[in-house]
Amino acid sequence: MSEAAHAMTMSEKITEGMGIKTVFTIHSFGYAIPISDTVITTWIVMAILIIVAFILTRKLREIPRKPQLLLEAFIGFINDFVEEKAGHHGKDFTAFLGTIFVFLIVANLAPMLTPAGGFGFEPLFVIKPVTRDINITAALAIIVIVTVFFSSIVYKGPKGYLKSLVSPIPVMLPFNIMEYAIKPMSLCLRLFGNILGAYIIMLLIEAVVPVAIPPIAGLYFDLFDGLIQAVVFAFLSTMYIAEAIE
Amino acid sequence: MDVQSAALIGAGIAVLTGLGAGFGIPLATGKTSEAIARQPEASGKITGSFLLGIALAEATAIYGLVVALLLIFK
Repeated sequence: MSEAAHAMTMSEKITEGMGIKTVFTIHSFGYAIPISDTVITTWIVMAILIIVAFILTRKLREIPRKPQLLLEAFIGFINDFVEEKAGHHGKDFTAFLGTIFVFLIVANLAPMLTPAGGFGFEPLFVIKPVTRDINITAALAIIVIVTVFFSSIVYKGPKGYLKSLVSPIPVMLPFNIMEYAIKPMSLCLRLFGNILGAYIIMLLIEAVVPVAIPPIAGLYFDLFDGLIQAVVFAFLSTMYIAEAIE
Repeated sequence: MDVQSAALIGAGIAVLTGLGAGFGIPLATGKTSEAIARQPEASGKITGSFLLGIALAEATAIYGLVVALLLIFK
């Protein structure tokens, strides 16, 4: 009996951790806009990014100091990466791809900022991963595919774009059109599934062995997996854009 | 058998898609190590295509996971 009750609480815990709570609702213009906890965490991530970007770029000098050196190394890395993959037109997209990359890194690593709890008392606040909400990954994927579509029209010209739809042979036309649905779907589901899967596994580990194991497993499931998925998302976006503008 | 237990069995079957990624990603990793050992100077390009490959190979497992989650929490 007690075992069944224990299992019940465990599955309830996981269901609760997976669920996305609505914190408050904004009523305006006759619409009710629910604001969920992932949206609030996204706002926090945005605030962190804006403040850090503002501080780092406030006093730029010819002879860089330490923070500016780090910043320059990072920007240079993104510039080189995008230019290598997407050619010299890729320069126009470095800001966009760099923003997605930095946002995903901060969003995926934000849960590690949760203060420690345990021994009967709850941590002060709990940051859950943002990208476990499919709405956010879907939004990112849609942004990427809209960019791919319009940049393809702009860089190839309307005629060149239509020609690229029937390349290499006209039979490929339906598949080329289908790509506009498949690419964002796989981008969105990959990020969502990976982060949610890692999150559920961490919840399970914490429920079974609360001490010693979670921090070690967290190194892989929180740190490594989050970083890899941010890299993969930015990498695939770069490849799609490179394909669209070549 | 009611609908709920059938859905749970279906979820269990759906995560078998993990097999595909489990066979594919180690294969890609092994080949990448061999390629880098043979030509260390090309490691940047090799790592790029490796990342792309594992991202695509992993997709099948992720779709299985998403289908299983949909079956459990519909």
